[in-house]
Amino acid sequence: MASCRRLSGAGLREVLGPAQGLLFDCDGVLWAGERAVPGAPELLERLRRSGKAAFFVSNNSRRSVAELERRFGLLGFGGVRAEHIFSSALCSALFLRQRLLGDGGAGGRVFVLGGEGLRGELRDAGLRLQGDGAAAAAEPVRAVLVGYDDQFTFAKLAQACVYLRDPRCLLVATDPDPWHPLSDGRRTPGTGSLTAAVETASGRRAVVVGKPNTYMFDCIMERFGIDPSRTLMVGDRLETDILFGKNCGLSTILTLTGVSRLEEAQAYMASDSAAAKDLVPNYYVDSIADLIPGLDE
Amino acid sequence: MAGPAGPRRCRRLEAEAARAVLGAADTLLFDCDGVLWRGEAAVGGAAAALGRLAAAGKRLCYVTNNSSRTRAAYTEKLRRLGFPPAQPRHVFGSAYCAARYLRQALPPGAAAYVLGSPALAAELEAAGVPHLGPGPAALPGPAPADWARAPLDPAVRAVLVGFDEHFSYAKLCQALRYLQRDGAGCLLVGTNRDNRLPLEGGAAIPGTGCLVKAVETAAQREAFIVGKPSRYIFDCVASEFDIDPARTIMVGDRLDTDILMGNTCGLTTLLTLTGVSTLEEVQGHQESGCPSRHSLVPDYYVDSIADLLPALEE
Repeated sequence: MASCRRLSGAGLREVLGPAQGLLFDCDGVLWAGERAVPGAPELLERLRRSGKAAFFVSNNSRRSVAELERRFGLLGFGGVRAEHIFSSALCSALFLRQRLLGDGGAGGRVFVLGGEGLRGELRDAGLRLQGDGAAAAAEPVRAVLVGYDDQFTFAKLAQACVYLRDPRCLLVATDPDPWHPLSDGRRTPGTGSLTAAVETASGRRAVVVGKPNTYMFDCIMERFGIDPSRTLMVGDRLETDILFGKNCGLSTILTLTGVSRLEEAQAYMASDSAAAKDLVPNYYVDSIADLIPGLDE
Repeated sequence: MAGPAGPRRCRRLEAEAARAVLGAADTLLFDCDGVLWRGEAAVGGAAAALGRLAAAGKRLCYVTNNSSRTRAAYTEKLRRLGFPPAQPRHVFGSAYCAARYLRQALPPGAAAYVLGSPALAAELEAAGVPHLGPGPAALPGPAPADWARAPLDPAVRAVLVGFDEHFSYAKLCQALRYLQRDGAGCLLVGTNRDNRLPLEGGAAIPGTGCLVKAVETAAQREAFIVGKPSRYIFDCVASEFDIDPARTIMVGDRLDTDILMGNTCGLTTLLTLTGVSTLEEVQGHQESGCPSRHSLVPDYYVDSIADLLPALEE
């Protein structure tokens, strides 16, 4: 079992030295609200100079990759390339493209519970969306996709259930997050709470694209072919980021600038349940800026 | 969970057994949708059967998870569809019971933030429970950042979730804000967990259970459920009337609400097949190795409550 050791001093070099790349969650790791975590842009710059790859894996399904790329720039992160950014919006689009338009796929439209960022990624992947125009109105809806939807209504929930009566219609969720932190410490409901409503109404279980499931890692592997044994996962949420790392065979680093508290990690470590132990990170840092001394000058 | 004579066997209720079971009962509790009527159409023979039961001196009460109607509206529907006259005090809807629960559980002056129907609001009003909502969210702007700035009412100490056709992300946000503000000091109450409300022709609309689940997931806590299969709704009946569980029959069409409540409260349970649950489902529960699933098996079943008529003939 992982031992949740503070990463510092000599340990930093031992762990970071051999690593070829790092996967970073974004919210709560690189930035919190509208501000970069102090030292985070410098860390990415130092990784680049050390020849280590950085990839970004976000469960946030509100933003398209293009919007995320802009956000990196706005918050002071230089030189982050779009092809290194994997959002649940993008990966949901890739997943649905594979299932609906790939070999053996039946085609069909997607009914989306989500905003324009998510819809744009789906359209860019060649998918046709319910409500996008009357042209292919005869084409049946073959997937319901639940994402972060601040315009979610009872009527949309009922509509989703109508489509899901067809057992061939997929039910997919971008991520399982039950809530997200706002910058003032309050919480806003996440995709997980909306998915729970759709699952309860339809009697179906959703396929969840985002962390802790491994599909987003498959997307990264497909594009870049990285070596899990030489890659570290850095995140702030034990139930998604750290479990994701475990599921993908990566060593994990918890950063304390986001959702999960060290006490929670320690509680999981002390628990008798095998499932709880999978949520324990290998290492933790107060902030990812603490990783900088582990890299060559 | 076993009945008085071992595991419940879901026997067809007819002939001598029907006469004996009905004869031994003082009180019958009826679920409504799928038992007495489907939509606006009474189940054939149901009104006649209840008429005979009333004439035989049985006490008839109505126990429904539907939070979209007041007790008065139910008595009116019973009258309209030809059932024996009933007073509001015979009707135990989840809206009425939720209002009762909050009146007793909330400190004086405390209010409830309601995701629900006008009927739920009316029952809260009648019980003297201050409340905010229902209806569409009153939004100070189009974006979540705007909603987060709207002031919270300091009197709110409970979030109540019922059937709400105006349910939206904005209202879910508000509910979460209240639950987060007071932590355990803010009650989370749901009228019921029915996941689906069947319509004619096999379609269904999402039930209150979906909305309760959304709030529970966002808030990471469990709601107190007032309606079947919770004991609470039965306790409301028992507090109004002198009920002897051993002489009371619960008649329903849903195993996971009506029958489970009846079994848990020590009543005799009778499944009617005019609604949601099937005999195949009963069999599945009987054959499962799981004791908690045995609690979903009724003592008896009928195809329709009209089947009780022969046992009620003079």
